[in-house]
Amino acid sequence: MSLEITNLHKRFGETVALDGITFRVEPGQVFGFLGANGAGKTTTMRIALDIIRADEGRVSWRGRDSTELPRRTWGYLPEERGLYPRMKVEEQLVFFAALYGVPSKAARAEVHEWLERFRVPEYAGRKAEELSKGNQQKVQFIAAVLHDPEVLVMDEPFAGLDPVNVDLLKDAFLEMRDRGKTLVFSTHQMEMVEELCDAVAIIDRGRLLANGPTAEVRRMTGKRVVRLGVVGDPDLPWLAGIAGTRITRAGRDYSEIEVADGQDPEALLHAAMERGERITRFEIADPSLTHIFIDLVGTRPDAEERTLAGPRAASGTPPTGPGPGGAPPVDAPPGHAASSAGPTPSGPATGA
Amino acid sequence: MGPNLRNTLVVARREFLVKARTRAFRFGTVLLVIGAVLVALAPVVIGWIDRQVITKVAVASAAELAFDPVARTAAVLNAGSEADHPAYDVKAVAPDEARQAVERGDYSAALVIERPATGSDLAFTVVTKDPPGGRVPASVQQAAASIAVADRLDRLGVAPGDQAALFAPATVTVEEPTPPGPGEAAESSVEFYTKMALGQVLVIFLFMAIILYGQWVATSVAEEKASRVMEIVLTAATPFQLLGGKVLGVGGLGLVQFAAALAAVIVTLLLQGPVASFVFGAEASSMDLPAGLTPDVILTFTILFVLGFLLYAVLYAAAGATVSRMEDVNSVVAPMSLVAAIGYIVAVYGATGLIPADASWVTLLSFIPFFSPYMILSRYLTGDAGPLDIVAATLILVVSIVVCLWFAARIYEAGVLAYGQKAGVRQLLKLAFGRR
Repeated sequence: MSLEITNLHKRFGETVALDGITFRVEPGQVFGFLGANGAGKTTTMRIALDIIRADEGRVSWRGRDSTELPRRTWGYLPEERGLYPRMKVEEQLVFFAALYGVPSKAARAEVHEWLERFRVPEYAGRKAEELSKGNQQKVQFIAAVLHDPEVLVMDEPFAGLDPVNVDLLKDAFLEMRDRGKTLVFSTHQMEMVEELCDAVAIIDRGRLLANGPTAEVRRMTGKRVVRLGVVGDPDLPWLAGIAGTRITRAGRDYSEIEVADGQDPEALLHAAMERGERITRFEIADPSLTHIFIDLVGTRPDAEERTLAGPRAASGTPPTGPGPGGAPPVDAPPGHAASSAGPTPSGPATGA
Repeated sequence: MGPNLRNTLVVARREFLVKARTRAFRFGTVLLVIGAVLVALAPVVIGWIDRQVITKVAVASAAELAFDPVARTAAVLNAGSEADHPAYDVKAVAPDEARQAVERGDYSAALVIERPATGSDLAFTVVTKDPPGGRVPASVQQAAASIAVADRLDRLGVAPGDQAALFAPATVTVEEPTPPGPGEAAESSVEFYTKMALGQVLVIFLFMAIILYGQWVATSVAEEKASRVMEIVLTAATPFQLLGGKVLGVGGLGLVQFAAALAAVIVTLLLQGPVASFVFGAEASSMDLPAGLTPDVILTFTILFVLGFLLYAVLYAAAGATVSRMEDVNSVVAPMSLVAAIGYIVAVYGATGLIPADASWVTLLSFIPFFSPYMILSRYLTGDAGPLDIVAATLILVVSIVVCLWFAARIYEAGVLAYGQKAGVRQLLKLAFGRR
């Protein structure tokens, strides 16, 4: 009864785009589809939508093959953004809806409702070319949902949006989820995935690396993260004596320590207390998706992404070499990991 | 209504409405209607222009002559025109004023007649700004020759009365090798030239329509690719529906323009009589205006227009799908425009007689799909092709359209999603016809 993607293979000439992708999306889920650029996300989506055909494998929704599904099952927000530049917004949206058989009167009403929701009702009569990029993206989102599809497939829906518009689009996502729609989207913004997605799939070079509920995927490496704040030396030099730990964020307020699989995170608390440190914060958490992604794929998820919304976009720190403690080169420099947990971690802090 | 037809019509409707609103389309339609009215009025216009142009010629005689050189010049110059609408206005001027009169532009030419010595032959000078071989100098030279002969006869003692008989024009009949049947009237030269002009104009219209609308289709496809709206549309509609809708939409625009032009032509033809009597005065009723645009010509043109457009439009659409940027559209449609131009040029030259319209290679070309719309039309108008030839050419066209549609749909399907990479012909064919 779910969206089943089974053993997809696709080659373009000599390039292998998909090499046996299999995962499943449950109805009503918000699903994050993660991968670096060129990993095969767009190809998978296009195959699901039957815009192109796979060499092997199949996609089905509620038991029906995607090649037999009516087109209005799907709403698609392609990565390649585009509207008819010289057509008015309302007119082209009504046109797109008509291609799905939506009567123009109903479509018009829907268009106005959505423009209202996006706080741009005055754009109905404007030509698309007069709109800013972010506003064009809103129009495209409306184009994807106007025919009331069961499954919304969105390729990088947040790319290029400013924070205000990211929030508006996020609200629209939740609205669609509340209406019982299934949402599949790709993004490089892991905080968005952690916040919105029930389940995720991570692919790289056409292969599936991880798939499952977001919480499970975050735990799949077995590593844990400890957030530890102490009064005194924030560099925590004594940690060097505890095996299987590595500081991934050294902050003045608190530090984040990655604890290897098999190590007890609570050992850190005991060690700190034994040393007589005054603890202001202690929290055990799962690694962020960014961590998992880097562990699995070897690069940062947004390595090639330019986005206005991502809090780290401005800093633009490229992935660097080995971090402190001789970590493998795939790991991110320590300064990066913290933001994935948000600026104010809400987990309970154990005071001493 | 199935989604196939629905989507094709939805796409066609958008294409039609968006293009119909453009200034280029409206302006083009107005121009076309004006052009069509002028073509329909061509016989009247040509007749009118013919009557308006009166060439003024001065005759300055310094010699003693037994006859009036002015009257004789006028008789020679106006020999070919109707009695009450002379083409030349001949006046006498003083010999010393002739040059200034031509210089001032009062006359197109002046014939100066002198006798160098008593009893000698006359000497003539034609003063004109026209080149020596031009129509007016040549005609005036003929008049001079006639005057010279008349003067010699006079000096030989032939009385002017007898001269009239000598100068009386001979009776000459021009005939076709196969004389017209009992019911048919011989084709007048006016009719012949009207047909020729009409053939050329219609072939030009057809050529322009096919190239222009074909380009629209290609541009429209490329525009969707360039603006990246293609992927949204492709989620909702199949490439085949898109292709069909585009061709239908632009074809509909073409038909609207054509219908507007045709309506203008029919109204003009209906009003031709009154217009003619207004222009020519009361005697117009006696004038036999050749009706150039007969229903069979209009029908043939319509069929060839629709089929010719379809044939080229599907290929233009496929061509448009192979490029990602608008700038590349022109280069990719150039080969097809060239093929269209070849058929057009042969057709026009055939209509004017520069290429024998009944040569076997012309006949053969007129059945080849990419040339046939123009060539069979041209040959039909000159009378070299009959209704059966039209039917044969039409059938061949229909079959080729089906083949081209299949071919174009494959190219289109492969092309519309091939972004960025500049697909070569081989790569594209592989994408289009290889395993998918």
